[in-house]
Amino acid sequence: MTTSTTRRKASGLRIGNIDLSWKNFNNNVLPPLIAIAIFLGLWEALSASGITLLPGPSSLFTDPRTLELVKYPFYDRGGIDKGMFWQTLASLQRVAISYTLAAIVGIGLGIAIGTTPILSKALDPLFLFLRTVPPLAWVPISLAALNKNEPAALFVIFITSVWPILINTAVGVKQIPQDYINVAKVIQVSNRKYFFKILLPSALPYIFTGLRVAISLAWLAIIAAEIVMSGIVGIGFFIWEAYQNNYISEVILALVWIGAVGLLLDSLMGWLQNKITRG
Amino acid sequence: MSINSPIAGSGLDSGGYSRRRFLETAGAAFAGSLLLKGCSINPPSVADLSPKAEAMTLSPATTPEITVVKLGYIAIAESAPLIIAKEKGFFDRHGMFDVGVSKQASWGAARDNIEIGSSGGGIDGGQWQMPMPQLISEGLITKGNRKIPMLSLAQLSTQGNGIAIASQHKGRGFTTDVSGAADYIRSMKDGGTPFKAAYTFPRVNQDFWIRYWLAAGGIDPNKDVNLIAVPAAQTVASMRTGSMDGFSTGDPWPSRILRDKRKFGFMAVLTAQIWPAHPEEYFAMREDWIRKYPKATKAILKGIMEAQIWCDDPKNRTEMMAILAQRKYFNVPSEILEGSYIGEYVMGDQFEMIKDETLAVRYWKDSRGSVSYPYKSHDRWFLTESIRWGFLPQGALAEVDRIINAVSGEKYWREAAQELGISAKDIPSTTSRGIETFFDGAEFNPESPQKYLDSLRIKSIKV
Repeated sequence: MTTSTTRRKASGLRIGNIDLSWKNFNNNVLPPLIAIAIFLGLWEALSASGITLLPGPSSLFTDPRTLELVKYPFYDRGGIDKGMFWQTLASLQRVAISYTLAAIVGIGLGIAIGTTPILSKALDPLFLFLRTVPPLAWVPISLAALNKNEPAALFVIFITSVWPILINTAVGVKQIPQDYINVAKVIQVSNRKYFFKILLPSALPYIFTGLRVAISLAWLAIIAAEIVMSGIVGIGFFIWEAYQNNYISEVILALVWIGAVGLLLDSLMGWLQNKITRG
Repeated sequence: MSINSPIAGSGLDSGGYSRRRFLETAGAAFAGSLLLKGCSINPPSVADLSPKAEAMTLSPATTPEITVVKLGYIAIAESAPLIIAKEKGFFDRHGMFDVGVSKQASWGAARDNIEIGSSGGGIDGGQWQMPMPQLISEGLITKGNRKIPMLSLAQLSTQGNGIAIASQHKGRGFTTDVSGAADYIRSMKDGGTPFKAAYTFPRVNQDFWIRYWLAAGGIDPNKDVNLIAVPAAQTVASMRTGSMDGFSTGDPWPSRILRDKRKFGFMAVLTAQIWPAHPEEYFAMREDWIRKYPKATKAILKGIMEAQIWCDDPKNRTEMMAILAQRKYFNVPSEILEGSYIGEYVMGDQFEMIKDETLAVRYWKDSRGSVSYPYKSHDRWFLTESIRWGFLPQGALAEVDRIINAVSGEKYWREAAQELGISAKDIPSTTSRGIETFFDGAEFNPESPQKYLDSLRIKSIKV
C-alpha cells in the first residue's frame, strides 16, 4: 500500500498531458474544460441554427433511442443488443490482442532492422509503402489471405498499428549515441549486456512514442475489423450499424466512448513510460 | 501528445491525498450506484411476446444430425422469416436448438462470410439477393473466382421493394411509367450531371428492378443514367444533400425516406407494380453443409416455412413488428414497418397515400400461389436478365439449365413441406410458375428466354 502510494505520487495522476492536482487546477484543468465547453457550445449553436444537418451534442439526451443507451451502459438483451460498456469492452479485447502482437512484432523487427543496416535498406521501402494502406483496404486482403473471420479482423488491427512501433523502434536503435557504442566496444561488453544496458534504455523513449501512436491507430482500425466479422458485439460494428441506419447521435455517443477509452489508454501508456524509463 | 515531456509532479505531494481521497470516494459512489441500479440494468422491455412454438416429438428420420448452424441476414423486410423462426422457436421445434442468425454488415460482408463458412467464423447460409447463390456457385463474385457450390432452398418473401427519387425532380414525370421523364433524364446527361441512382449490391435484384423500370420507359440504364452500388444509409444521406437522384431500395427504407420531415424523396414505383408477386430474396446454403446434414437442412427449412406462415397471419403482425424492430434486428421504430405489411404506401411526387393489400410484402402465399417455393423458372428469369444487361455473356444462355439445376434445392423444399404436412394444394406441382407478365406488357416465357430477350427494345447483350 505504501509503495503504491509513493509510486502514484511520483508519477502523478495524469490524463493526456494534463496534470490533475488541485494545486494546478487553474493552470491545467480549467483551460481544457473551457475549450471543451466552447467547442460543445459552438457545435450546439451550429446545429440549432440549421446550417448543418449534424445533430448537436444535446441530441445524446433528446433522442430517445440514444438516451436509452446513455442511461443504461450495462444493459444486456442478448445477441448484439448490449449496452455501450459491453460493446466497448468487446472491442477493447480485440484491440488488446492485436496491439500486444503488434508491440511484440514491431519492437522485435524494429530492433533487428535498427541493428542490421542491410535489413534496413532492404525493408524500408516496403514498409513505407505498406504503412500507407488504409485499414479498410486491408479487409478484403486479409480475408482472402487468411480465409478465417476473426484472425482476419485481428490482422487488420495488427497491421494498422504495427508500423509506428516498428519504425520508431528502428529509428531509436539507430540513434544510439556513437559514444556508447564505442565504449561498449572498448570495454567489450557481452551482447546480452549491450542489449539490456545500452540498446534498450537508449531506444526506449522512441519505442514508447511508437507504442502511444500505435494505440490510437489500433482504435482507428476497429471499425474496419468489426465489419469483417459482422453481427458481433463491438463498438466498431455498433458504429457501422448506427451509420447504416443514419442514427447520427448514436455515432456521436460511440465516439465519446472510444475517445474516453483512447484517452485512458494513452494515459496508461504515459504512466508506464514514466515508470520504465525512470526505473 | 506529450511524449517528450516526462514532467514529474514536483508540487504534487500537497494535492496527493485529497486527490486520492476524491478518487476513492468517487469510486465508492460509482460502485454504490451500480449496486442500487442492479435491478434496473436493463431498460424497460419492448414487448410481451406470445409463447414460443412447442417442441415436436422427432422421429429418427426427422432428428437433425447437428443442432448448430449460422445463418446470415441483412436487416430488411426479406429477413423476417429467419428472425421469426429463431425468436418464435420454430427452429427449436424441429430440433435445431442452436441456430445463430447473424446480422451482416453489408451484402459484400455476407458474401465474404459464406466464402469462409462457419468453420472459419463465417456463415453456412442465409438470405441472398438473386442470383447471388448462382454467382457464388459459379465463382463469379468470389475471391480468386473460387467456386463455392450453394443450393437455393426457399424464397423468403415477395414484393416490398421500390424506386425512390430525390425531391428536386418533382413534377418531371417520375411515375409508374417513367417514359414522361425520359427527355428530362437525357437532358441531365447532356447538361453534364447525369441522373445518378444507387442500389446496395451490383447485378442482383435491386439493380434489375431499376433497370427494368427505366428501360420500360425508354431510358437506357447503361447509357442515359449512372447506376452505382452504395450502402443504403449513404444513398439516403446523399439524396438529402441532393447528390443522389434515385435509389432502388427495399422496405423499410421507403417508409424511412418518407417519414423525414424535409421530404427529400418520394416513391416513384413499387416492385409490386412492376411485376406483381415477383421473386424477391432467397434462402440458400452451402452445398457441402447440406450434403453433410440433409436432415438438419430440412429441419431449418421447416422452421422457416412455419415462420413464413406465422408472418403472413394478420393477427401476429403487431408482435412480428415488435420483434423485428428490436435493436439487435432491424433497429428501427416498429411503427415504420407497418405500411409494408398492410400495403400502405405514400406514392408519387404529390405524396399520395395509397392502401392496397395486394402491394404488401408477403412471405408464404401471394396472388400467384406459393411464395416460399423456389421456382426454377424464376432462377431462369434472373439469369436471362443478367444476360440482357451483359452481366453474363450471351453464350451463358446455353449454360442456364446446367446452372439452375446445380443450384436448385427445390427437392429439399418439397420433402420438408411434406414432412411438415403442408397441404398438397400449397405445394407447386411443377418447377415452373409459367409465363410472367410485367407492367409494360412484356412477357417472360421460361420455355423460351431467347424470345423474351428478342422482344426487349433496350438491352446490352454481350457476345
